[in-house]
Parts: sequence; C-alpha cells; structure tokens
Amino acid sequence: MTITDLVAPEAVIPALKVNSKKQALQELAARAAVLTGQNERAIFEVLLQREKLGTTAVGYGVAIPHGKLPKLDKLFGLFARLERPIDFEAMDGQPVDLVFLLLAPEGAGADHLKALARIARLLRDLDVAKKLRASRDAQAIYSVLALPPATAA
Amino acid sequence: MASLDAVSIAILLGAFLVMVGILSSLLALRFGAPLLLVFLFIGMAAGESGPGGLRFDDLQTTYLVGSVALALILFDGGLKTRLQSIQTVLAPSVMLATVGVLLTALITAPVAHYVLELNWAEALLIGAVVASTDAAAVFLLVHAQGLRLRPRVGATLEVESGTNDPFAVFLTLMLVELITVGESSAWHVIALFLRDALLGAVVGFVGGRLVVLALNRVALPQGLHAPFVATAALVIFGAAQSSHASGFLAVYLAGIIIGNRPTRAHNSVVTFLDAATWLAQIVMFVLLGLLVSPQRLLVSIGPAILIALALMLVARPVAVFLCLAPFRFNWREKLFVAWVGLRGAVAIFLASIPMLVGLNNAYLYFDIAFVVVLISLLLQGWTLGFAARKLHVALPRADRGPRRVELDLPGQLEQQLVGYAVRPKSLYLKRGLIPSWSKPTLVIRDQRILSPAEADPVTAGDYVYLLAPPEKAEALDRFFVDMAPSSAPDPHLLGDFMVAGEVTLGDLAGIYGVNVAPDEAELTLADYFDVHLDRAPKLGATLPLDSIVLVARSLGGGRVNVIGLRLPEDEEAPRPPPTRRQTLKRKLKAIWASVAGI
Repeated sequence: MTITDLVAPEAVIPALKVNSKKQALQELAARAAVLTGQNERAIFEVLLQREKLGTTAVGYGVAIPHGKLPKLDKLFGLFARLERPIDFEAMDGQPVDLVFLLLAPEGAGADHLKALARIARLLRDLDVAKKLRASRDAQAIYSVLALPPATAA
Repeated sequence: MASLDAVSIAILLGAFLVMVGILSSLLALRFGAPLLLVFLFIGMAAGESGPGGLRFDDLQTTYLVGSVALALILFDGGLKTRLQSIQTVLAPSVMLATVGVLLTALITAPVAHYVLELNWAEALLIGAVVASTDAAAVFLLVHAQGLRLRPRVGATLEVESGTNDPFAVFLTLMLVELITVGESSAWHVIALFLRDALLGAVVGFVGGRLVVLALNRVALPQGLHAPFVATAALVIFGAAQSSHASGFLAVYLAGIIIGNRPTRAHNSVVTFLDAATWLAQIVMFVLLGLLVSPQRLLVSIGPAILIALALMLVARPVAVFLCLAPFRFNWREKLFVAWVGLRGAVAIFLASIPMLVGLNNAYLYFDIAFVVVLISLLLQGWTLGFAARKLHVALPRADRGPRRVELDLPGQLEQQLVGYAVRPKSLYLKRGLIPSWSKPTLVIRDQRILSPAEADPVTAGDYVYLLAPPEKAEALDRFFVDMAPSSAPDPHLLGDFMVAGEVTLGDLAGIYGVNVAPDEAELTLADYFDVHLDRAPKLGATLPLDSIVLVARSLGGGRVNVIGLRLPEDEEAPRPPPTRRQTLKRKLKAIWASVAGI
C-alpha cells in the first residue's frame, strides 16, 4: 500500500483558499462529498467529532483530519495545499498549510490505522513537505506523494 | 477599669500566643515536624501546667472558635478542589466518608469498651469522636511538605476528609443525645441523618450560587471581595447549622461551587482564604492545647494509646480496604489511604461536645481524643512523605511548572494577565512560539516596562506578561519551561496523533475501531493511565490499548493531559529504529571487522 493507493489524482487540491480551521474542514468535506458521492454534512460532522478529541495537526505545518464514515466502501484520501497557512491548534503552535484528509469505512480497522501511520510518516519527512510546498500544480504534488516512503527514520 | 485591663491583657496574651505559633512554623518547616503539633505544644506550654501557667477552661469559646475555624478550613478546601479532579473519585470518597467512618467507629468501640470499661453507647461515642479523617490535617500536611500525590489518591483523600466531618459530627451528636436522653429507633436516626445531609447540601449549593452571583454582579470596592466571600462562607455555615442542617457539608459544597465558577477577584479570594485558614488552624490548635491538662492526661494515657493503635493499625485499614474494594485501587494505594487517615482538630473539637453538654466522664472523651490526635500526627504525620514514596503514590517533583503570575483584569472575566520570567531554553525564546489564544502585552526588562514592540527581541531574564483566558493559563507553562536537551526521538514513537486526556476509551473505539472492554468504555484516557500504571505517569510512559499504543505526551497536575496515539504500521513500513540489542550486535560486528582487519 502506498499513499497513491489512497489518493486519486483528482483528489489533490494544489491551492485551497481558506481562512480558518473550520472553513478548511468544510471545504475539504465538500470536495470529498463530490468525489465519494457521500453526504457533505455527514463528512463534516465526522471530521469535527474527531477534532473535538484533540487537534489532528501533527506539527511542522501538517494536519491529517480523519474519521470513520459507515457508508464508504473503501479508504478515501484527499490532499490539499493551502494557499495561506491557517491556525489548526497544533501542539507546536505552527500554522498549517499541508492537509491530508482520510476517511475510512466502518470495518476498515487495521488498514485505517496503518494508512494513518503511513501518511503521518510521509508528511512529517521535512524533505517531502518541502517538495510539496514547492509544487505549484496538482500533477507535481501527486508525483511527490507517489514517492516511495522515506527510508530514514 | 480593672475589667478593661483584663480585656487588654487577654488580647495581648492571645495575640502573642498566635504570633509565637506563626513564628514557630519556621522551626517546624526546618525540622519537618508536623506543624499542627507545634501549635498544640505551644498551647500546652502556655497552659495551666506548662511554664505559661494560664488557666483556661472556657468551653463555650472553644466551641465557637473551633466551629468558625473548621468552617473556614473546609470552605478553603472546597475552594481549591477542582471539580474535574474529584468527579472520578466521588464514589470511593463518599463511601469512605460515610460507611468508612461508621466501620471505623464500630471497630474501635469494642477496644474502648474493654480497656475503659465503658458501656456500649459510650464506647461507640469514643469511636465516633476519633473516626473522621481530618481535612485540615490532610490538606495542610500534604501541602506543607511539598508532597504531590497521585491525583486519584490525593483527590480521594481530600474529598473523603472534606465530606466525612459532617458524618462524624452527626454520629457524635446522635450518640450524645442517645446517652443523655435514652433510646431512639434506628429509622429515626437514619431519617435524621438524611435530613441533615440533604438540607446541608441544598443550603451549600444555593449559598454557593448566590455568592458567585453577588461577586460578579455587585461592584464591591477593591479589596472587599475576599472578606466578602469569607464572611459569606460563615453565613452559609451559620444558616445551615441553625436550621439543623449540616453546616460543615454546606460550606464545603459552597467552596467547591465558588472555586469552580469564573468569578471576579478569584486569585485574591484564594490568597485571602489561604491566610485565614492558617490563622484558623493556629488559633484552634493553640486553644485546644490550652484546654488540655497534662496531669489528668497521665491517668488515661495507657488506654488511650491502645485505642490509638487499634484505630490506626486495625480499624482504619479494615474500613479502607472494605470500602475501596469495589473500586479500582491497587493495594499500595489502599494502604496509603489507610495510613494517611490523619486525626486532627475535628476529633478534639468533637470530644469537647460531651463536656459542653455535661456528660459523665466528659473529660475522658477529650483526653482520649487528644492522645489519639497526638499519636496520629506524630506517627502518621511524620511518616507521610516516607510512606508516599515507599508506596509509589508520590509524584516526582521534576514536573513542577515555572512560576506563573496571574492577575485579574477588573471589568471582565474572559481574560487575565499571565506573567513569566523568560528562561534561556524555553520554547518561547528559542522558537518564538506562543499559542494563538494568548497575546504578549508587556515586557519588563531592567525594571522598565516596555511594550512588546519596544522590547523586541525579548531576551532571557525579561519578564513577559500575556493576555490569556484564565482556564488556559496553565497550558502556557509549557512555553516557558526550560526544555530538556532531548535528542529528538523518532516522532513516530511519541505517537502520530494527539488527543486530550478527557477523551474516553469509548470515543477512541468509535473512531479507530480498537477493542475496548465494555466496562472501561466510560473511562477517560487520563483515568486509564491512572488505573493501569502502577506508578505516577512520566513523560513518554506508554500503555497499550488493543493495537494502539498510548504515549503520555504532557502532564498537568500529575495527570496525563495530552496523549499521543502510536498507530500500528504495516510490514512494508521502514525499518523500526534498532533496538538496543541490534545496536550492540552491529557494534560487535564492527569491532570484529576491525580486529579481523577486513
């Protein structure tokens, strides 16, 4: 399983324009709703519910909002680079500009957790993050995501 | 004029004694003696058989001062109790405060019956008088020693000692009535107790709410907020007592309510009551010391020691282990709670009731209680810190936060000014990080007050004051402590995602599909750490939950408040960092290679 198994090329947003965490989640939910055919409101609720437990910002300007959507048939990923960094209540206080959304079906269990770990590891790699920030269009971003996972821990 | 002189002399002597008490606290802190004992001894030394030679046997005054002092101490205890921290221990504490007190009294009674040759009602009265754990002693001795207990243990003890006085007072009054008047039915007694407790709770709840309302609505002159709250506490106490409700329960509850709502001048109220509590404590113990007569004490000292030992070594431990059996405490925690059943002024105060009513042998109760308290404070008070460390219920001192100054800003309640000294290795100085909800407002450097713009860049040794919501002030500490020179570990090991300590296991199960035992679903993650770790959690402590590993990422007040979730990885994932054994193997290989000259 690589990251590109989770994200389709059309699920990459190169420059999303949002001003707040809430707006970012709303916007991502709307895009995810179009691509998965699920209810936008339901997706937003699921993401919000997870944020209530604690922020999904993992530090270094990266956030990975996620949640479980019962009616989904497989894992669904969506990547967005934000035009302007926003406050995501991160532990390190850094504003966030790279956002990866992951939705999982009800029974995904271990796959869901492994995918999340994989995404976190990839985006925490400072080189990868740098390349993603430098990429201007969806295709360039997609090719960075398709890179094999970094070898150095 | 002679009577006026007498008043002046009484004031002089009284104030002088209290002042000696205050000064002696220095001595006590240096030698680690339980402070309360020192106050007691000063009273005794000033008393009729000590060098002071003062004659004092005014029971009315003692009862009055004792009531006021106890009310203030309990109120202060409630004020400092965080509702959040007691919610999880409410059931075990209340169990200890009611059933525990009854059991302790029942088990102590036979000893009193046989060694003192009292009848059963009188023996039970002895048991009831010494059965309650003293809130003042627990609060004071634990805090004065700078001891920080594991939150669940500390909270259980504090809530127990705060709530058991009403029950012990009730038990004592009932037994005194039984001895003076005669028979009464069990149902009548239970109904009486329920009425007292319920009415007390209602008075405390309503009173507390009213005080909060008044504090925030009425524009009192600066400096009168704290005295207002203190007198309001006494009004609540008096109102409850005179309507035959439990005043002690009422003030404790009112304290909890006032302490857990946003109010004006919260900090000055806490500081004022701190001082008032100290004073109450000193006055009460000095007075009780004055009242005792060592010659008379000698007569009953043998039986008293027997009773004290039976109480500390048998009655209390049995009661604690029975009461805590249904709850999740390990044996070390139970043993500690059993040992820290400190007896204090409440016992002596309760023992003065028979004297006040004029029971037969009234002095016996007083003397027995006095010796029991003395032994408890000496033996248990002195070994408190030692026991806490041996039984692993003490927290390491290391995770103390930086010194934080909090200033109320009159006119509103949402924001306060929080000040810190800037340390050279703080997150704030090193990375310029600050949470988005706080705003640097002024900087003090070399005794000059600067605006953040003027002070830019801030250097180590400056003082920074920030605007922040009062409830979040504690979260700022993290940015102002010196960071440990950590060799940045693999971030994955610290957990990929962070969740708050109040999140329940059920919440996590809902989102991550991990399996959670049904009876643990309601447990918060912070509780989960408390329950499953044998010792106080440290930063980086791990605990498995199904396929996830929970990592303690941030501690506050001894509890884990941020938890990292280390998620499982699949097999194709990059190699995990080498274990110590693998590193050793590689090193050996390298050495072998160099030796073999390959």
